[in-house]
Amino acid sequence: MQEPEGKRSEQTITREAAEQPESSEHLVIQVENVSKVFHTRKQGRMVALEDLTLGVPYGKFVTVVGPSGCGKSTLLKLIAGLIPVSAGRILYQGVEVRGLSTKVGYVPQESKLFPWLTLEENVGFGLESRNYTRQERERRVRDYIKLAGLTGFEKHYPAQLSGGMSKRASIIRALAYDPPVILMDEPFGPLDAQTRMILQDELLKIWKKRQQTILFVTHDLVEAVALADRVVVMSHRPGRIKDILEVPMARPRNIFEIHRQDGFEETYAHLWSIFRHELEIKFEEEDPEVE
Amino acid sequence: MMAESDEVGVSEASWPYWTRSLWINLLRIGVVGGFFLLWEMAAGRWIEPFLISSPSRIFSSFIANIQSGTLIGHTWVTLQEIGIGFPLGAISGISAGYLFGRSRTLAEIFEPIIIALYGVPRTALAPLFIVWLGIGIWSKVGVVLLLTFFLNFFNTYAGMKQMDREYIDLARLMGAKGHTLTFRVILPAVSPYIFTGLKTSIPFSVIVAVVGEFIASTEGIGFFIRLSAGIFRTADVFVGIIVLMSMVIFMNTIAGLIERRVLQWQTQTEHVRIQG
Ligand SMILES: Nc1ncnc2c1ncn2[C@@H]1O[C@H](COP(=O)(O)OP(=O)(O)OP(=O)(O)O)[C@@H](O)[C@H]1O
Ligand SMILES: [Mg+2]
Repeated sequence: MQEPEGKRSEQTITREAAEQPESSEHLVIQVENVSKVFHTRKQGRMVALEDLTLGVPYGKFVTVVGPSGCGKSTLLKLIAGLIPVSAGRILYQGVEVRGLSTKVGYVPQESKLFPWLTLEENVGFGLESRNYTRQERERRVRDYIKLAGLTGFEKHYPAQLSGGMSKRASIIRALAYDPPVILMDEPFGPLDAQTRMILQDELLKIWKKRQQTILFVTHDLVEAVALADRVVVMSHRPGRIKDILEVPMARPRNIFEIHRQDGFEETYAHLWSIFRHELEIKFEEEDPEVE
Repeated sequence: MMAESDEVGVSEASWPYWTRSLWINLLRIGVVGGFFLLWEMAAGRWIEPFLISSPSRIFSSFIANIQSGTLIGHTWVTLQEIGIGFPLGAISGISAGYLFGRSRTLAEIFEPIIIALYGVPRTALAPLFIVWLGIGIWSKVGVVLLLTFFLNFFNTYAGMKQMDREYIDLARLMGAKGHTLTFRVILPAVSPYIFTGLKTSIPFSVIVAVVGEFIASTEGIGFFIRLSAGIFRTADVFVGIIVLMSMVIFMNTIAGLIERRVLQWQTQTEHVRIQG
């Protein structure tokens, strides 16, 4: 958001170039040479991420794209401290993450609202263990529920909400307690196109107000470009960073007519050229007989 | 007619709800009433009354036993045994299941031991408890407690193992710890399992209390039944059985009421029937 003017004009920059101009002070999250190996009984060693380095600057909206199974969810779980790294380290505001990090909000791939709590209890859950007064808590819950267009459903249980409503609820549950960083794992994945656009638009508005840092995983390239300041492209197995693109589009953006916005087509085309190459590699690997 | 509409399902739905439930209740009363009528007729006519007694004899001996105070005394004793043993067993079983689910070390040490202990036939433990605790109520309290403990332990522990761990992780990410984590997240998540444990242990707790009383006691419904059977007072045996049935029904009703309150997040959506 408050980036220097000069950067806007650079259309895309390569990974090396992206790392240079930022001193580590501007990075809220630093992933340094991180590898993650899963040991399973059947397949044995599975290298999900290998020697991955990534910095996320304060206040930025960063999206992560990559083929299915490349380790995007794994990366978010590592940053949240839900699972330990196999090698390397992850820093949060310069401090190494060990164990669960209560400083980040996490929106899982499925909504995962607590089924036994009502909508308002779900949204207020993160506020309970923090120093909010009762009034403040209630006000925040009410505001966020309104923001997400869920007013009137406060007393409903998750089983009584539609898929899109649960998604929205799951997002405001992570936003409500104001974590400085929010990790989102394909939060709009299973939604229809219209709902998706409406939610993307709402998310951008909330983000603009709150100035939080968002790391957003998606498999939708349009979404990746439309929302982001910066797109991280991951490569297939073992997961690595293939490229990082800066998105030179101005804000606020009109999500509903994003294709017409300056800079969209070029960035999208560039992203697609990188991604297509990645998909080709994947297909060749998995289906060697097809020429 | 009922069987037909049950199969079709569509004509059933077009009935107003209360008409349908009225019919079902009437038919149910009819079946039970017919059974009692047949029983009353059979006794003394086709089958010896000392074998099957009869509803009218059971009713009058029920009144007589209440008037003399014996039935109330015996019922009170059995109620005490269950009333002490059941809650203690349930609370300790649920707590142990919870702790084992939280601590891998505890589970690794004690799980095989508890499974081996559970393999011991429970009724075989009753005589042992009588040796240890005498023929008063405490030996029965002991067996009820032990059985209730096991059933609740296993169900809660199974719930802890099968629950979605991601809920715990998410709650902890959001800052939940200790008390909040236990009572707002983990126990609600396993509550369906906890209720399964509670509800299966209700009839079993009554059974083992009575078995304990059969073996050695001077009071309690089990004692009353055994005594009555010994002197061929069949009507009294049935009176005892009815008291036991009422106890189970009473406890089930209470458990059902609590369950409906606690698990309303599950049941509230059930009104929506896909059947249409
Ligand atoms: N707990 C686990 N145990 C073993 N292997 C795992 C585990 N979690 C993930 N993996 C493996 O790690 C790889 C990366 O998984 P991950 O879920 O991060 O992929 P993803 O990029 O999020 O995919 P998608 O886009 O389909 O969600 C996969 O090959 C997966 O099989
Ligand atoms: Mg994923």
